[in-house]
Amino acid sequence: MNFDAKPMNIPEALSTWGLVFGSILVASLAIGFILALVLGGKRGIPRFFENLGEGLTDLIRMSPKRVGAIANLTLKEAIRRKALLVFVVFAVLFMFGGWFLSNTNSREELQLSVYVSFVLTSIGWLIFPVALILACWGLPEDIRLRSLHTVVTKPVRRSEIVLGRILGFVGVGTFVVGIMSVLGYVWIIRQVPENVKSRLIARVPVYGSLDFRDRQGEEAESGVNTGDINPYRSYIEGASKARAKWTFDGLSPSDLQIDPETGKPALLVENSFQAFRTHKGVIDEVLHGQYTLVNPETDLRVSLPQFPVYEFRQNLAWIPEELEYYNEETQQTETRNLFDDLVVDGKLAVEARCVDVGQFLGMARPDLFIRLPDRPFASSYFKSVFGIWMMMVLIVVLGVTASTFVKGPVATILLFTLILVGTGFNQFMNDILSGEVRGAGLIESGIRILNHGNPIVEKPDSLEESVAVQNVDQVFTGLLWGISHVIPNFNIFSFKAYTANGFDVPMMAAVMPAVFMVLGFFIPCLILGYYSLKLRELEAK
Amino acid sequence: MSENAVIEIRNLTKIYRDFWGRPKVRAVNSLSLDVNKGEVFGLLGPNGSGKTTTIKMLLGLLFPTEGDIRILGKPATDVAKNESIGYLPEESYLYRFLNAEETLDFYGRLFSMSPAERKQRADELIKMVGLDKARRRQLKEYSKGMTRRIGLAQALINNPQLVLLDEPTSGLDPIGTREMKDLILKLKDEGKTVVMCSHLLADVQDVCDRIAILYNGELKQLGMVEELLASQDKTQIVSSTLSDEAIEEIKQVIAKHHGNLQEISSPTTSLEELFLQTVAESQARPGQRFVSESEQKTAESKS
Repeated sequence: MNFDAKPMNIPEALSTWGLVFGSILVASLAIGFILALVLGGKRGIPRFFENLGEGLTDLIRMSPKRVGAIANLTLKEAIRRKALLVFVVFAVLFMFGGWFLSNTNSREELQLSVYVSFVLTSIGWLIFPVALILACWGLPEDIRLRSLHTVVTKPVRRSEIVLGRILGFVGVGTFVVGIMSVLGYVWIIRQVPENVKSRLIARVPVYGSLDFRDRQGEEAESGVNTGDINPYRSYIEGASKARAKWTFDGLSPSDLQIDPETGKPALLVENSFQAFRTHKGVIDEVLHGQYTLVNPETDLRVSLPQFPVYEFRQNLAWIPEELEYYNEETQQTETRNLFDDLVVDGKLAVEARCVDVGQFLGMARPDLFIRLPDRPFASSYFKSVFGIWMMMVLIVVLGVTASTFVKGPVATILLFTLILVGTGFNQFMNDILSGEVRGAGLIESGIRILNHGNPIVEKPDSLEESVAVQNVDQVFTGLLWGISHVIPNFNIFSFKAYTANGFDVPMMAAVMPAVFMVLGFFIPCLILGYYSLKLRELEAK
Repeated sequence: MSENAVIEIRNLTKIYRDFWGRPKVRAVNSLSLDVNKGEVFGLLGPNGSGKTTTIKMLLGLLFPTEGDIRILGKPATDVAKNESIGYLPEESYLYRFLNAEETLDFYGRLFSMSPAERKQRADELIKMVGLDKARRRQLKEYSKGMTRRIGLAQALINNPQLVLLDEPTSGLDPIGTREMKDLILKLKDEGKTVVMCSHLLADVQDVCDRIAILYNGELKQLGMVEELLASQDKTQIVSSTLSDEAIEEIKQVIAKHHGNLQEISSPTTSLEELFLQTVAESQARPGQRFVSESEQKTAESKS
C-alpha cells in the first residue's frame, strides 16, 4: 500500500462535484419537463413547476422534530427486530480469534498488522451487511405493510421520511460500530504479544518531492531500472555520483524530538530502501547508504555518517539540531545548526546514496520521510473506525435512496452491485480515463478484436474510419467519466492499512476525501429519494 | 368552493393502469360531491365500488387520473392539510413493535406536539378507547378489535377537524361497534366532520347524516339518510300491545278509508339491541346462565 496519498484539493473536488451534480440535475429537469409535457399535456407544465416549487419547500423546510421522530422510530424498529444480534457474532469472533492470531509471524510489525487488520476487518464485515439490509428493506417493508400510510397522512414531508430513515439507520450503525470499536480497541491492547506493544503507535510522516541524479551527478528522470516492468522503485548505483534527492517542505523547529541516545533535539528520518545486489558481496552484511543534507538555496552540503540498510525494516536516523561534520573542502570539522544553516523557509533537501560498489539501493518517494512526533495508537485506530463508519453511512444513504423507488430485494441487489463495482472496478475505470490503461476505445477495440488486430497498440489517426470510430468512442469515454463519478469509490474509506502498519491516518489525504465523498452523495441522494417517494403512489396496484 | 364544504370533489376519475400504461380498471368515474362541515358523511357501496380508492385519493395516497379534490380549501397533495385530518385506515397499519403509549407518542411527535401535550393526549385517548390495561403491550400482541381501537386513537391524536374512517367497525364486537358509533356521534357533537366508508349498512344508517352510494366507481345516490330511506307510500303506527278486538276494529277503520293493510305484527328488536341488553344484564347479575326448556323440565321433575 502506498501511504503517500496526495492531500485533497478541495476546490478542485468541489468543482468536479458541481459539474457532475449540475449535469445530472439539468438532465433530470429536462427529462422531467418532457415527461410532464407528454403525460400531462398543457396541464403538465404548471404541474411540473408546482412540483419543483413544492420540492424546494419540502427540502428546505424540514422539521427537525419530525425527522427526529422518524429516526427514533427507525432506531427502535431495528433494535426490536433484533438487529443487535450482530454483537453475538462479534463476541464469538473475538472470543476465539486470539487462538488463531497469536505468533502468526515472527516479525513484530506483521504480528501487529494481523491483530489490527482482524479487528477492523471484522467490524467492517459485520456492520456493512447489517446496514445494507436495514437500509434497503426498511422503507419497502413500511410501504408493503402500509405502516407508512399512517405517517404520510400526518403533516410529514416525504423529505423528512427519507432523512429520518437515513438518520435512524445511521444511529443504529453508529451504536454498533461504537461498541464494537471500543471492544476491539481493548481487545487489541490486551491481546497483542508483549514484545509488540511498543509498536502500537501512529507514525506521522512528512513526505518530500523526489528527483534523481545519475552516476555522473547530472539530473535524471529516474534511477536505474533493475528489470521490473512496473518500476515502483528507482535504483541508485553504489559508490557513484548517483543519488536520490528529497526536498521536504513546511519544516519547523517544533518537528524536532529528543534523541533517546544523546538526549538532544534531533530530526527523526526513516527509510525503507531495498537492496539490489549485482554480486553476492559479504553475504552476512547489509548494504550501506549515506544521507547528505543540502541547503536548497545556498547548496551548503552536510554529509552524515553512513548507515546500514536493513531491508523490510524501519531504518531510523536521528539528525541532530547541532550538526558536527567533516567539511571536505576546508578539511576541518565544522558545526552547523540544522534550522539556521540548512532549512530555508521550512525547506530542506536530503540526498541519499548507496555506498557499496556494484550494489544498488532502490528508492521511491514514500521510502524516505521525516517522522514527526508519534501520536497515540488510538488516534490512528479510531480514524480507521471513522472510515468504516463513513462507509456505513454511505451504504445507508444509497440503500434508503434505492428503497424509495424499488422493492427491498431489488434495492439490495442494486446496492450490492454498486459496492462490488465501486470497490473492484472504480480504479480500473479511472485508469482507463487517465490513460494508464493503454489501448483503443470501446468500439475501436471491438473492431480490432473482430479483425484479429491488437487492441492495445496505437493506430494512426490518419485512417478515416479510425478517426470516425474514435469520435464515437469519445462519447463512450464521456459516459464512462460520468459513471465513474456516479459510482462511489468505496476503497477510499479503508484506512486499515495505515493503522495496521503503524501510521497515523492523514486528515487531508485520507479522512477529508472520505467525508466529502459521503456529503457529495448525501445531497443528491436526498433529493432523488424525496422525489421518488413524492411522485410515486404509495397505494399503486 | 362553498363556504360550508370541508371536502369538495369535482369530476374525480381514477384509472388503474398496467405496467405498460394501458388502462386496467376504472375504479372511480367522474365523481362529484361535497362534504359539509359538521356532518357525518357515509360512502357506501359493495366491494370494489371505489370507496377506499376515493378515500385514498382524498389523502394523497393515490393520484387522480382526472378531476380535482380540495380538502379544507387545500389540494389533496398538500401536506399542510394533514394538520387538521385524522385517518383510520381499513386495516390498522400501525408499527407492531411499538406499544400503545409509544404509538401515540410517535404520532404526536409528527404533529410537533410538546412532550407534556403528547403524554396528556395519549393518556386521554388510551382511556377513551379502553386500552388502559394494555397500554404497555406491543401492538403485535393485540387482538383485531384492540388494534382498531388504537388505530382510532392515533387518528384523533391531533384533535382533527376532519376524520376519515375506512370501515371503522370492521373487526369490532357488538359492544365495540356501539362504542365506535357513539364516538362518531360524539365527534359530530364536537363539531367535527366525519367521513366514513363502510358496507355495513346498519352502522351507516345509525350514524350518518348524509350518504353517497357508489357502484362500479360511479355515484348512484346522494342525500340525507332520512330522505333516502323514507317510504312515500306507506304509513306506520306503533302502539302498545292491543287486544284482538282492537286490532279487528283498526282493520275495519283502514278498510273504511280504502286503505290496504299489509301487516300487523309485534315488532322485533334488533339483534344488536338484544346482544347489548344481554351483556348488560350479565354484567349486573354475574353467574346467571341461560337454562334451556329441557333442562327446566328436568329440574322441575326432580323437585
